[in-house]
Amino acid sequence: MHDEILTIDNLSTKFFTENGTVRAVNDLSLRVGRGDVFGIVGESGSGKSVTARSVMDLVDSPGRITDGSIWYRNEEFTDRVREDHPNAVEDGAVDLLELPESTRHGLRGSAFSMIFQDPASSFNASLTVGEQIAEAVEVQRRAHANPRSTRARTSGSNYSLKNYALSTVFPSKRFVTRASRDRAIELLEMVGIPDPVQRADEYPHEYSGGMLQRAMIAQALAGEPDVLIADEPTTALDVTIQAQVLDLLAELQEETGMTILLITHNLGVVARMCDRVGVMYAGEIVERGTLEDVFDDPVHPYTQGLLGSIPDLEGREGRLHPIAGNVPSLFEHEMEHRCHFADRCPKAMEECLEHPPEFDARGSPHHAARCYLAETTYSEAKALPEGYFSEADDPAMEQTETAATDGGGE
Amino acid sequence: MIPERLKASLKREFHQSLLAKVGLGLLILILFLALFAPILATHDPTTSRYWDDQGNSYPPLGITYDTEIAQEGERVEYTVEPTTEHLLGTNNVGEDIYSKFLYGARTSLLVGFFGTGLAVLMGVPFGLIAGYYGGRVDDSMMRVADIMLAFPSLVLAVALIGVLGAATIPIPDPIVMAGFAEDMPEYMILPGSVTIVVALVTWVWFARVARGEAMAIRSEEYVKAARSMGASNRRILVTHVLPNSLTPVIVLATIQVAAIILLESSLSYLGFSGTTLSWGYEIQQGQAYLSTQWWIATIPGIGIVLAVIGINLLGDWLRDSLDPNIEGEHGG
Amino acid sequence: MTFGKFLVRRLLQGVFVIWGVITVMFALRAVSPGDPVNLILDQAAGEELRQQVREDLGLDQPMYIQYLDYLQGIVVGDFGFSYQSSRPVLPMVLERVPATLELAFAATIVALIISIPLGVVSATRRNEPADYGATIGSLVGISTPNFWLGLMLILILSVQLGLFPTGRRPVAFHDSIWIALTTFHLGPLITWFHHIILPAVALGTYFTALITRLTRSGMIDELGKPYVTATEAKGLPGVLIRYKHVLRNTMIPIITVLGLQLGTLIGGAVITEIVFSWPGLGDRFIAAVNNRDWPLLQGVVVFIAISFVLINICVDALYAKLNPKVAAQ
Ligand SMILES: Nc1ncnc2c1ncn2[C@@H]1O[C@H](COP(=O)(O)OP(=O)(O)OP(=O)(O)O)[C@@H](O)[C@H]1O
Ligand code: SF4
Ligand SMILES: [Mg+2]
Repeated sequence: MHDEILTIDNLSTKFFTENGTVRAVNDLSLRVGRGDVFGIVGESGSGKSVTARSVMDLVDSPGRITDGSIWYRNEEFTDRVREDHPNAVEDGAVDLLELPESTRHGLRGSAFSMIFQDPASSFNASLTVGEQIAEAVEVQRRAHANPRSTRARTSGSNYSLKNYALSTVFPSKRFVTRASRDRAIELLEMVGIPDPVQRADEYPHEYSGGMLQRAMIAQALAGEPDVLIADEPTTALDVTIQAQVLDLLAELQEETGMTILLITHNLGVVARMCDRVGVMYAGEIVERGTLEDVFDDPVHPYTQGLLGSIPDLEGREGRLHPIAGNVPSLFEHEMEHRCHFADRCPKAMEECLEHPPEFDARGSPHHAARCYLAETTYSEAKALPEGYFSEADDPAMEQTETAATDGGGE
Repeated sequence: MIPERLKASLKREFHQSLLAKVGLGLLILILFLALFAPILATHDPTTSRYWDDQGNSYPPLGITYDTEIAQEGERVEYTVEPTTEHLLGTNNVGEDIYSKFLYGARTSLLVGFFGTGLAVLMGVPFGLIAGYYGGRVDDSMMRVADIMLAFPSLVLAVALIGVLGAATIPIPDPIVMAGFAEDMPEYMILPGSVTIVVALVTWVWFARVARGEAMAIRSEEYVKAARSMGASNRRILVTHVLPNSLTPVIVLATIQVAAIILLESSLSYLGFSGTTLSWGYEIQQGQAYLSTQWWIATIPGIGIVLAVIGINLLGDWLRDSLDPNIEGEHGG
Repeated sequence: MTFGKFLVRRLLQGVFVIWGVITVMFALRAVSPGDPVNLILDQAAGEELRQQVREDLGLDQPMYIQYLDYLQGIVVGDFGFSYQSSRPVLPMVLERVPATLELAFAATIVALIISIPLGVVSATRRNEPADYGATIGSLVGISTPNFWLGLMLILILSVQLGLFPTGRRPVAFHDSIWIALTTFHLGPLITWFHHIILPAVALGTYFTALITRLTRSGMIDELGKPYVTATEAKGLPGVLIRYKHVLRNTMIPIITVLGLQLGTLIGGAVITEIVFSWPGLGDRFIAAVNNRDWPLLQGVVVFIAISFVLINICVDALYAKLNPKVAAQ
């Protein structure tokens, strides 16, 4: 039963801003099987990107992972870490949050890679695409030059400021080597960029959006990662290009057998690509399971609402169905201890005023939902009276309502 | 003149920033010293020969220095003691350093404010016209500006003063006129050449900023509308374009006051200011005595640094709170 | 191809600017009071001799002829003769160039070496002691007049501690290098180095402070951009993220600002030379102004304008090289 490459347990990530603490991700658990394509869907602001960044340890400054564990299962890595950090290892997997930063960062590119929504701003405009991909290759090449030492896989230890200063004068001191450049060209070819030799020497602004997203995929594949995290990889692209990029991802996944964590707004994309799905709402996974569990037999009223517009699994154009109501505030001091969806839920009941735990749901053993309807059936008798929450709502509601709808349709 | 939103932003930035408060405090202090110099001064700053009975200038309180004096044809060691009469001592020609410090603040601020004002008066209309009309006018005006910018301002300023001569303008001192300070000089000396010259070498910056604003505003709908309704160009410039370019001009002017104070001190250090009541001049005077009476050159420098820091801090504060392009705050 | 065009356009603009400077200088001389003949000859010289000198110098010609003559002279490298010493102006200017160049370069190097890492540290460790230190230090740095700073350095490091000489340049850099290479005798080079440290620090401090400030605020902006996260995600060493990626992009706008600050560097060099008795162009320039030695003054100013234009072109070329979008245009 140990085939999960990535297991997240009770992860909480908070942003400590001047105006209060934002609970971007709260008590989130999920399991991703090796070689699976795991989809995460949810409205804008539900915490999808923060979850992904938490895995990579890329959460920006006022933000911090405050609780939970992220288990990564890779025999070679586990063996390497066991000696130095015995308490991070359990049952053959490593809890990344127990590791020192440098060791964790050594996993970037080799264990986890990430591709981002907007390729144009995710490349450095003043370096050639080939150079930037070659950098990713080089990072891995240097890390593997000394596989025994975990220190060698940490960032920075093998390239000092002195080296960089020297490299501006002596080409031989450059970080990126000829071999890495050649490999970058191979990677560009692999993702279907014509004329890769010439293209490698071009700057990002000379690429089209679709091309650049391919290049970013090439960059992410440089370290042959176990898990590829794709944060809305097609949102910024034209519809026709979207399909091509998704085809490419599917193809690469088949070839390499890597695991993909696919974040998207688009249910059609989920239906087409994913084996498992997690639905996020207000920083929590409210329902998760296999594609069939979630799409054919949703338990959570939020999932049901999202799917409202999807006729069937083959529906390709399906987007998140906007649900009436406002996205809840994620400020810790404004969050009540109830089901966060209750104010928008058509089936809100008295027990929903107590925050629901995650329940096993019918269907496959993977199916779970944070909703009392997984255990009980809805009855009019327990329903909260109409307008129960609107009293308490603040006047800014109308404004946020449109924001929610916008987000849903993005 | 300043919209509410900007006022709020100024206030918030001020409350958050310790440095802004320090800057305002420093500027108020220097302004106070300069304004009330005749009252605060203990001696007429232009009176020399305040020496001890051996002909040595006094050190500041708490400091002594050794020198040699001639006694009965022989040179003997002699220690000069400070006197409470001259708090910061006296300089090489025996002028009271403390009183000169106060009057130096006056000169610096006079040149700083008048010079900046003059530069604004020259640069802003120039830039507005160039930016508003565009085309040929703009091209040729900006060529002139390019030549000005192409030049090290200190070199140009020195060359100009070399030609103009270091003329000064005496301004009656209102405090002395009103009888509050009997023994003080009746006139304040505004180094006229220096003021004109610093304006001549800095106006281009104002022209550039005003031009950029005018170009941006020219294409705004309401300006187009005003023009289509037959408003004259002059009217549009004065009622629409000018008020809108005020914010960046104010920010720039603040920074320029600091730059001009530095430039003035350099010019007077080089001996081109035409008045001896200047921090830069005093530093030059003290340079030869660095090894024995280091305070002569040191004290005025502290004045320059404090004044310029204060104004720079205010400039930073204005820039951070008025300029929407700089460091916007984006919440999650 | 495009770079060649760019260069030609900038050179033409530069020629225009230099012509403007020459003309302004000429006009200044025309309106300046005083008879140059008095500067050349003794008070006692007779009227006949005076007239002779006037004719020799072409001062009896109409203004426009004098102007054209002067322009023509400059084109062929003839800047006339100094009133004061009767020597040709051009060598009087050129012989002073190395000293000023040494000083300006040394100051620039001091500034770059200190300011860039300081700005980077300040931006990447925001609100830590290092950042506060750098912020306050650079505030004081841009607010201190360099001549006073120079005197304070002399006071503390030379007069009190005796670590450095108080000024002068006993040996030229190129000479000391030549001696080092031919006789393996490092003494002169060390002497040179010893003498240039204080002037270079005095002149470089303002720029150190300025570049630190610009680097800090530029880096903070740049660090918030998405490509930085993407670069972190691929596991690149932090040094490369900060310097090769972020700093490089930060420098692009900073270079433009620095181009505009070159005038300040040259102006600062003038006054630093006075403080440290450094025998450079600035020293000669101030002497020329004080003596109303117009040919020499014009020579120095025109020379400064020419070098200024050339350096500016280099700065623009560097800008274009760092910023591929500009180069592509
Ligand atoms: N730097 C930050 N500072 C404060 N709060 C933040 C920050 N970044 C994210 N958040 C908070 O975290 C929440 C989740 O953000 P996240 O980017 O994960 O949403 P998302 O689901 O990826 O949305 P989208 O679909 O728009 O990308 C947001 O509601 C926001 O309030
Ligand atoms: S827990 Fe209650 S309120 Fe929340 S989704 Fe389920 S039924 Fe609706
Ligand atoms: Mg996101």
